[in-house]
Amino acid sequence: MKKDFYEMTYILNPVLDEEKFSELVSFVNKLIENNGGDIVEVDEWGVKKLAYDIDKKSTGYYVNLYFNAPAEAIAVVERNMRINDDIMRYLTLKYDAKMLRYYDLKKKGDLPVVFEEVESESETEDDN
Amino acid sequence: MINNPSHPKKGHLKSKDCRFTKAGVEYIDYKQTDVLERFVNDQGKILPRRVTGTSARHQRQLSTAVKRARFLALIPYVTENMR
Repeated sequence: MKKDFYEMTYILNPVLDEEKFSELVSFVNKLIENNGGDIVEVDEWGVKKLAYDIDKKSTGYYVNLYFNAPAEAIAVVERNMRINDDIMRYLTLKYDAKMLRYYDLKKKGDLPVVFEEVESESETEDDN
Repeated sequence: MINNPSHPKKGHLKSKDCRFTKAGVEYIDYKQTDVLERFVNDQGKILPRRVTGTSARHQRQLSTAVKRARFLALIPYVTENMR
């Protein structure tokens, strides 16, 4: 069955304790795997300050993951996430060829720098 | 071209080039908040192309990236600065 590459970022309710976070993260991972997907990378940003309050909370636990999954899996995963009220918000993106090249570049670490910071790291002006 | 002689911008030809094309960016990610913040004014609004000089293609990508970042509360919809 054809699998596409997806990225999902979701925000968890910050008032939970540590093991509840990892439990929720594994809950989402299991959800994806049960529906025929496979996780490529999970990257947790931890508790971050939100730019604006989401249902009375000013911080949230961010989790960002990349995975391959068949198209039907997405609706099921999102429905289950919607039911769970500890997941405040989620955003799923399907990666097309352009975004995939960006992802590989990010993996290799030589992203084109738009604004070189004050510390003059070597400006790699490669246009891919 | 502005050919009204008394117009203050007459002969104003400094064209800003697009920073994304110059750097060879192909996809603007909504997670690059430090880059996105430079294209948003102090009220949180997206800056127009005539101010930043971004190319049309990258301006479209930039606006979707900013809207996605706003949805995930990475950057604010509106920043009320105490006037």
